Amino acid sequence: MNTVKKGLFGFLKWFLIIFFAIYTLFPLVWLFVTSLKTNAEYFANPFSIPAIPQFQNYINAFSQANLGRMIFNSVTVAFIATFVNIMVAAMASYALSRFKFKGREVIFALFSAGVMVPLNALMVPYFTIFSKVGLLDSLNSLRILYAAIGLPLSIFIVRGFMDSFPREIEEAAYVDGCGFFGRFFKIVLPLTKTGLVTAATFQFLTCWNEFVYANLLTSSPETKTIQIGIRYFTNQFTTDYVSMYAAIVIAIIPSIVGYMLFQEQIISGLTSGAVKG
Amino acid sequence: MKLKKDERIGIILFLLPAMILFVAFFVLPIAFIAIMSLFEWNGITKGTFSGFSNYAKIFSDHVFWKSLRNNVVWAFSACFIQVPLALLMALILSKKPKFWKFFRTVYFFPQVISGIAIATLWSAIYNSEFGLLNGILKAVGFGSVAKNWLGNPHTAFICILIYGLFYIGYYMVIMMAGITSIDETYYEAAKIDGANAFQMDWHVTIPLIKYSISTCVTLAAVFGLRTFEQVYLLTNGGPANRTSVLVLYLYNQMRNNNYGGANASSVMLILTGAVVIVLIRKIFSNKED
Repeated sequence: MNTVKKGLFGFLKWFLIIFFAIYTLFPLVWLFVTSLKTNAEYFANPFSIPAIPQFQNYINAFSQANLGRMIFNSVTVAFIATFVNIMVAAMASYALSRFKFKGREVIFALFSAGVMVPLNALMVPYFTIFSKVGLLDSLNSLRILYAAIGLPLSIFIVRGFMDSFPREIEEAAYVDGCGFFGRFFKIVLPLTKTGLVTAATFQFLTCWNEFVYANLLTSSPETKTIQIGIRYFTNQFTTDYVSMYAAIVIAIIPSIVGYMLFQEQIISGLTSGAVKG
Repeated sequence: MKLKKDERIGIILFLLPAMILFVAFFVLPIAFIAIMSLFEWNGITKGTFSGFSNYAKIFSDHVFWKSLRNNVVWAFSACFIQVPLALLMALILSKKPKFWKFFRTVYFFPQVISGIAIATLWSAIYNSEFGLLNGILKAVGFGSVAKNWLGNPHTAFICILIYGLFYIGYYMVIMMAGITSIDETYYEAAKIDGANAFQMDWHVTIPLIKYSISTCVTLAAVFGLRTFEQVYLLTNGGPANRTSVLVLYLYNQMRNNNYGGANASSVMLILTGAVVIVLIRKIFSNKED
């Protein structure tokens, strides 16, 4: 009786594990396979394997939608926004973590509450701000906006890391006359490296994947980002599905590679605030 | 330890950039929509004060209610289907079966891929002519069930909603971290009392990761209320506004130059979110007593 029960639950357990794995992986594998077919093959049978892999589709995606330009735009936006975001977050976290002053907890609570704000609801004010300062249809608007909207999460992660090492570490330097700025650059920043990488990974992925505001704030071909590039093929009256799938593969590869490289950081960052009771 | 002078200046200098960005992109925009929701405004000319007329207008618009209802359904499904599934898988993977790290990695994939890429992929799956879903149905002899999934008013919304519910990696990882942090002695004590694996999960693990669960439920509800990309890409609200959500509703009002209405919708979205967060906190803290 007990072994039957055990066997049944073992089966159920592996059924679930494999179901969720296939559910996630199958569409991605299918996407990759389809991106190497001809349109005729795709229309004839969505499941077939390409007779000859059509790497041409990737070249088409690049030339038709000007993906090279879009990737370049996404990379510069994501790097600049991440750099600014992490610098600003590290400075604020240092002040909030290593010093006691009036209003400290209020400021931190305010930043943390920012995580819960539904940013999609702020389309009108963001659009208005950037049109007032003449930054519509400019990548600078995305750089500033992304750096700003990622701040609550970055500060939350980085401050958590800074809180985790003891004050005594700076005390020796303090006694030696090392001031506010010296301690930040020489001691705290190097010690927080893991936290900074974690926050930067999150921030970079957010920037790379962002669609809503890239769609709202930019319009000309020179300012499009890679996520808009995916839309290019669904907007047009084209039936070139396979090139669209090639474009999607191009858009998601950096995310997957980045995730594989920084998996531990992403998981630790995600869970830093969620565990404490 | 009293602050030295260079420290006081330093703190202000270091907080300033974050504060400026936060005020400019969080505080002021929220104040802006709250105030401007009381103005009739087309985004170009100066607005005129109109009291609560924007609210009256959206409240009498059935598309607004349909959108709000869809958002609520979305949030509920995420809380009551997606999070429990994630909890189940967190309990299973925490016992470290073979290749558990591999599966954890795989389940998390949809979280790092852009929502727009995933939505485009699913629009191909649901496509009526050469989509994957109809292809599978025909292959296994259910060709009569095949339909235009996203064009059919009865199936469109459920199709947009359902595919994300089985992407459980995000919540699973949060709850797995909660399980890892549980002190081993709890399990030893339960074992001495003769508890089996299920009783341990039910009576020890789940109560002890309550904080992680409440975090997941809150996030699921909040994400459910702010959905946009999937709907925008898969149906753009159609057919006949059946799949509209609040963010799409406000986006469309903005595009129709009805900025006042858009702002009133934004306020409703933020308020609904705040109420939901408070309610979930209440529910979870009551259980503690």
